[in-house]
Amino acid sequence: MRYLLYLGCVIPTKQYAYEVSLREVFPKFGVQLEEFNERCCGFPLKSINKKAWLYMGARVLARASELGLPILAPCNGCHVSLWETKHQMEEDPYLKSEILSYLKSEGLYKFDDVDIKHPVEVLHDIIGLEKIKEKVVRPLQGLKIASHPGCHLMRPTDIPRPEDNANPDKIDRILRALGAESYDYPDKGGCCGATMLPFSPDNAIKVGAQKILTMINAGFNAATTSCPYCMEMLDNKQDAAKTITGNMEVSLPVFYLTQLVGLAIGIEPSKLLINLNMSPVDEILAEVGVV
Amino acid sequence: MTTEVFTTRIVEELKNIIGVHKPEFCYQCAKCTSGCTANKVFSEYRPHEFVALANMGYVEEILKSGVIWACTECWKCGQYCPQEVAPVEVIIALKNLSIIKGYAPPKALVEMTKNVIEKGLIQDINQVMTKDFEFIDRDSLGLPPLEEPPQMDKHRNILSKFFGVVMK
Repeated sequence: MRYLLYLGCVIPTKQYAYEVSLREVFPKFGVQLEEFNERCCGFPLKSINKKAWLYMGARVLARASELGLPILAPCNGCHVSLWETKHQMEEDPYLKSEILSYLKSEGLYKFDDVDIKHPVEVLHDIIGLEKIKEKVVRPLQGLKIASHPGCHLMRPTDIPRPEDNANPDKIDRILRALGAESYDYPDKGGCCGATMLPFSPDNAIKVGAQKILTMINAGFNAATTSCPYCMEMLDNKQDAAKTITGNMEVSLPVFYLTQLVGLAIGIEPSKLLINLNMSPVDEILAEVGVV
Repeated sequence: MTTEVFTTRIVEELKNIIGVHKPEFCYQCAKCTSGCTANKVFSEYRPHEFVALANMGYVEEILKSGVIWACTECWKCGQYCPQEVAPVEVIIALKNLSIIKGYAPPKALVEMTKNVIEKGLIQDINQVMTKDFEFIDRDSLGLPPLEEPPQMDKHRNILSKFFGVVMK
């Protein structure tokens, strides 16, 4: 299993815990990650110029096509964006030839033969729950973890999505394989609010806070995501959420899924950059005896 | 008569950007608005109304209000629309059109666009503080440097053309 590690914008410039935990965990399951220094997939700028967004995505795919390997896109935004680029070009040959003309000027000719995977897919569909279970040495017993797939892991369903929009349960099953408890809850497929940040940070944070409260009300003592934007909203901005909503109960330990897999298979918390999680993760890990 | 011609033209312009989804199929069930993420915090943000207004030609009015930028692009409305209108795609097209018509997007998006043209990424490498008050970045973590991919000059030129309007 070899993939081009396409980190996008947010992971390699800020969300280091995701990159580091991914690089720690995946090789342990025999997944080889190749360096792939490509630039923005266009997702954050789709609202500025759709054609530019398609061109940017197609360029990333074309570079991967040259190297002849599938892409591993750990960011939900990149993952949906690259699939959508492929899909839209298939639907619209006229648009495709226009985008190809830009790529040709950069010496790139082909982009539609590249497969794009998300870590959740690799863990669940390719590595498989049995292999994960075999490696668990520190079961996450006592942790009731809410899965937050994030919008674009599930929608839109007219393009291949790792999670089922009506019944997203792959992350839950991975969590159970790690020894933790996980179950459905209201608004599981709800939004973290990240895309609203440039327009209105306060209201965006309110959306994230609401999602955290829903998880707490459903009886969870932790949560997990595998999207850098969702992590930023649900974990990094928890203190801000307390201030903005005036509700001190907006407090829940949040982990990257790759961090939880790492903890369960015995990797030291420091190697998974647990000290970058701003939510109260240390207490819960001590409580359940993981650290 | 002049107004009529004008409104038809702007609706056509909008539809060209939307692509496959057809706003004219909307029958105003408001399912989109009832599940909308942005509507939870902005009661004036109602996707079914934007679709209706756009169909009637009141495009400039929506653009002027600027509230379209509250959309989180969570795609719930697109998923649950019984008519496959995908209000989210209408909103994204409205955002695109607002740039073409010279309305300013949120400042942070202009900043991101600038960074993408210059560096290829929406933001610079950040120094992040850990819980132990230690500052870390790619270097201190020993992560591989973000080397420039090939043909970046050509890439930059193409991007500058696409995003010229925003940067003005």
